[in-house]
Order: sequence, then C-alpha cells, then structure tokens
Amino acid sequence: MRYAILLMGAPYSDQASHSALRFARALVARGHRLEAVFFYHDGVHNAARLAAPPQDEPHLVDAWAALANEHRVALQVCIAAALRRGLLDEREAARHGKDGVSVQAPFELTGLGQLVDLGTRCDRLVTFGP
Amino acid sequence: MLLHVVNRSPATSRVYQQALAGMSPDDRLLLIEDGVQGALPQLVRYYTGLEGRLFALKEDLESRGLLGRCDASVQVVDVDGFVELTEEAERTVSWY
Repeated sequence: MRYAILLMGAPYSDQASHSALRFARALVARGHRLEAVFFYHDGVHNAARLAAPPQDEPHLVDAWAALANEHRVALQVCIAAALRRGLLDEREAARHGKDGVSVQAPFELTGLGQLVDLGTRCDRLVTFGP
Repeated sequence: MLLHVVNRSPATSRVYQQALAGMSPDDRLLLIEDGVQGALPQLVRYYTGLEGRLFALKEDLESRGLLGRCDASVQVVDVDGFVELTEEAERTVSWY
C-alpha cells in the first residue's frame, strides 16, 4: 500500500516524532511504500539542519534523512509553518534577506496543497500529533 | 471500519471522550504513548464496551514498565501490529 505520514509534534518535546519514525520504519519493513512524511506545525523542527543532539540520543533529523535516502521518501515541510519558526532553505533565506540556511535536502519546503495531494493519492495517511 | 489512535492517558486528558464519541460500533481503538495507561486494569473502565476492539502498543507499554500489567480485555500489539491495524482499517484517525 501507499502510505503517507503527517507529523505535528516537535522533536525532543513529545514522543510524536519518535512514534512516527518507528512507524515509518515498520511500514517499509512490511513492504509498503512510504510516499512522504509531511511536517506541519511544530513538526517542522524535525527539518532543522543545525540540530545537534547529544551523541547518546537518537538524531531525528539525520534519521529522517537516512529514511528518505534509503526508501525514496519525500520529506515535505509546510513552508508557512517553517518560515515562522526560522526554518529556511537557501531560496527562502535569500528571499527574506537572511544569511543562514536551516533547511536542506532531502527536506523540501512545500505548501499545504501537497498534504491534500498526499491524502487523496495515498491509500493511508497516518497522523502523529503532539 | 476506522482505526482510532489515542496518545493521552484517560487519567490526564479527556480526549478519549472525543475518540469514543467519534467511534462507530465496529471501529477499533489503539492506545499509544501515554495513552497505554488506559490499558491498565485501574483505568480500562473508561473504554467499557470496546472488548475485542481495544489495542495497546507493546513498545510504549514496555518503555513505561507496564508490559504484562494490562487488563485481559486489551490486545497488545507491537509496531508491526500497528501497521497491520492501519492496513485493515479504511482510514486512521488520531486523537491527541
């Protein structure tokens, strides 16, 4: 089946990100196709390029990137939620006159329309809230 | 048939009431994260009427030291079983 995950919890604040990651790994292990993870609300912090958690803790940002690279999962970040929270890719940083970049591939800033598209295109959409 | 997922304990949040109100007679309910507390014999009364349709996530029970302490009416599933429940349900609804 084709799956998509909607993640709305911030990393390291609540369990949502860990739950979503564990679920994502389990579903690809069962042979399903994970089309995308959509990061929304505080979930956009999962895309923070500069995250540097202690070495003995799971690195969520890297874990998502690894999942994306291994299984061709799109990591879609709501652009409106991201910009408010200081999460900008190169293009948005230039547009807003900021000299730092906090989001990089495989994460991509996209619009909410992408979430609607996932909802209609995928067989299952599973939400992990805060 | 829909799968409802609750991640809050009925001892600390009333979101379980909304989940129950939104459930059809054949829908299933999966307890995850702090929601697994609702699988304990002391709290399972909040889910009366869901016998055979009430599940709790094994990994979250284990990380809270609650594995083996669930009420007999609750079916314990691991994350693989979680995926399976989403396969079997037409849609998944999360309450938080």
